[in-house]
Amino acid sequence: MKVPELNNYLTLKISIMFLIFIILSFILSLSIYLVRNDLYTKIISSLFLLFLILIIGYAYLHLEETNSWYFKFDNPGVLLALVLGILSLATFYHSFLYLKRHKFLVKQEAGYYSTLIMLITAMMSAYFAENIAVLWISIETTTLFVSILIFHERTKEALEAAWKYLFVSSVGVALAFIGILFLSITASSSGITDLSLSHLLNVTQLMNPIWLKMAFLLTLTGFSAKMGIFPLYTVAVDAHTVAPPPISAFISTTLMNVGFLGIFRVFTVVAQTEVLQWAQNVLIIAGVISIFMSAIQLLRIKHYKRMFAFSSLEHMGLVALGLGIGGIGYYAVFLHLVFHSFAKAGLFYQIGQVHQYFKSYWIKDAAGYFNINPTGGLMLILGLITILAIPPSGLFISEFLIFKAMFVQGQYYIAVFVLILLTVIIYSFSKNILHLLYGEADKDVEQKLVKANPYETISQFILFGLVIYLGINPPLFFTNLINNAIAILN
Amino acid sequence: MTYLFIILYAITLIYFALSERVKKFVWLLSIQGVILFGIVFFSLNEIEIFDFIFILAETILVKTIIVPWFINKVRKRNNLKRIHEPSVPVFYSIIVVVISLLISFLVSNHLQSNYIHTKYFTVSFASILFGIYFIIIHKNIFSHVVGYLIIENGIFLLSLAVGSEMPMMVNMAILLDVLMGVLVLGVFINRIGNTFESTRIEQLSNLKD
Repeated sequence: MKVPELNNYLTLKISIMFLIFIILSFILSLSIYLVRNDLYTKIISSLFLLFLILIIGYAYLHLEETNSWYFKFDNPGVLLALVLGILSLATFYHSFLYLKRHKFLVKQEAGYYSTLIMLITAMMSAYFAENIAVLWISIETTTLFVSILIFHERTKEALEAAWKYLFVSSVGVALAFIGILFLSITASSSGITDLSLSHLLNVTQLMNPIWLKMAFLLTLTGFSAKMGIFPLYTVAVDAHTVAPPPISAFISTTLMNVGFLGIFRVFTVVAQTEVLQWAQNVLIIAGVISIFMSAIQLLRIKHYKRMFAFSSLEHMGLVALGLGIGGIGYYAVFLHLVFHSFAKAGLFYQIGQVHQYFKSYWIKDAAGYFNINPTGGLMLILGLITILAIPPSGLFISEFLIFKAMFVQGQYYIAVFVLILLTVIIYSFSKNILHLLYGEADKDVEQKLVKANPYETISQFILFGLVIYLGINPPLFFTNLINNAIAILN
Repeated sequence: MTYLFIILYAITLIYFALSERVKKFVWLLSIQGVILFGIVFFSLNEIEIFDFIFILAETILVKTIIVPWFINKVRKRNNLKRIHEPSVPVFYSIIVVVISLLISFLVSNHLQSNYIHTKYFTVSFASILFGIYFIIIHKNIFSHVVGYLIIENGIFLLSLAVGSEMPMMVNMAILLDVLMGVLVLGVFINRIGNTFESTRIEQLSNLKD
């Protein structure tokens, strides 16, 4: 009699692994905030990163398994969690350097790390949420923690950006909740009331198209603040501009992926119905307007971090466009998300280093960087090639596939229009980066005060290298994850 | 009885449009909390004790007491008395509320779905529309939070209209999330009040291209 009981106990223990991770993270985060000791913070942060890697590894080994009732380690979740894991390591490292450079209060530093841990946990929960209501809760939670991190430097601009992000995201996410309730209305006609994704996917044929359209439109609008695409992209741009550089790197990549996943989950439900064509048209419109707004704003940009933020708008616009086009575009979307995350994070880490020398992110203040810090300058050149999708960058492959899908589907006008916009973006972006590298600044730079630390660039070298390597020679597990993630759409 | 509370809720929306004093907003939110409790209480056929405790906590404890008390504290700290900037005259606002109620009535009359309780749907839809309108016409971040809370109350009614049976844990998490959101918003209002010495949105225009 005892053996089966023990087995039951073991299965129960294993099946709540993700819940254990959430609880542990919460305890670690709280303890950092309460103890407020430098060494303790470092040890606990390393411990958290270890747990994070373990849980991602565990998720990968238990693909497609349900865990802790409301969570499931499905392919898109695991793929984006892998990206999150890699970027978490880099972000903690750069946060450590950033906090060392600026003298903040001990309380502020402890708050920074403890909020960052909770943000990562909330994002992990959003990636693996199997129930749409749980997904919504996780996304709303990320808003709270992100706004605290945006406000870290306590400046007026930080306060303004944090408020705008918090308020607009909250209202947006509330709209998304209305969309989720509409989804629930149309699902309840088939007796599904619990909003579990797998249950919803089983009854898609019985869903009412009008409710579905409204649900999709509202979730797209609501989560667009998170994903950073049209219509609610402005708050994300402001947030990426003023947040500390490691946080900007983190939220303009992994958090945007969270917003994407929110939209993608609802899209997978919609894709099984007759509403698919309509939803794809909506995504194409949102994508093209995002790229258009990005191209216009980049022409008159005056701030490096804002430039990167608008570049994120462009890339997320391309992602929405890929999802809207379909076919090979679906594959390209995930490829693009992964590559953009690595490339953009690398650039943001480097701009944090640039700030050390010029004490400013304004384009007029910072120039001639290559002479001052050649390693950093080299990284910027590499970053420029990678982010602008110039071969051998992996982004070239994903963008190529998106355009291929557009031509295959006969969307010539959109393809040509977007190509023109991309040309404008490439011009403005490279003009400003080349100014930073080789231009002449208005202001004299006090170079002697800062000692270049070439090791800081290692993380960027790895990230840009990953973009190139994964583009040219993607490992089998990586392509399998993407193919399985989009299997439901084909 | 449910209808009485639903009508009372619609009346609070009209009062929101009429009021110019910030203190009244806080009172109206508190009253809405009680009305929401009434609506839920009288529409339940059979009550399980845990459901009852949860509903009591959600409507009375959170929506009637904690949130209004907290935002009243924020109001006092920032010395907000009267909304000085009615960018839209009260008369028009009342017309907008009435029109939004009418539209909601027509929409829900048109729905005829067996899976929606149209009586809640009407007023919830009006509440969400009015909440968005409320945010647009006011130029003070405090009033924006009040508008957000009106939308949240509308969503609460909408979830009743939908009748989705989410697990208790999920419901609790949603409630906690929204509550935390309001608390953080309140803390940020205080910060903005301290830093900019005003809570008007004109102050918040440094970030632009």
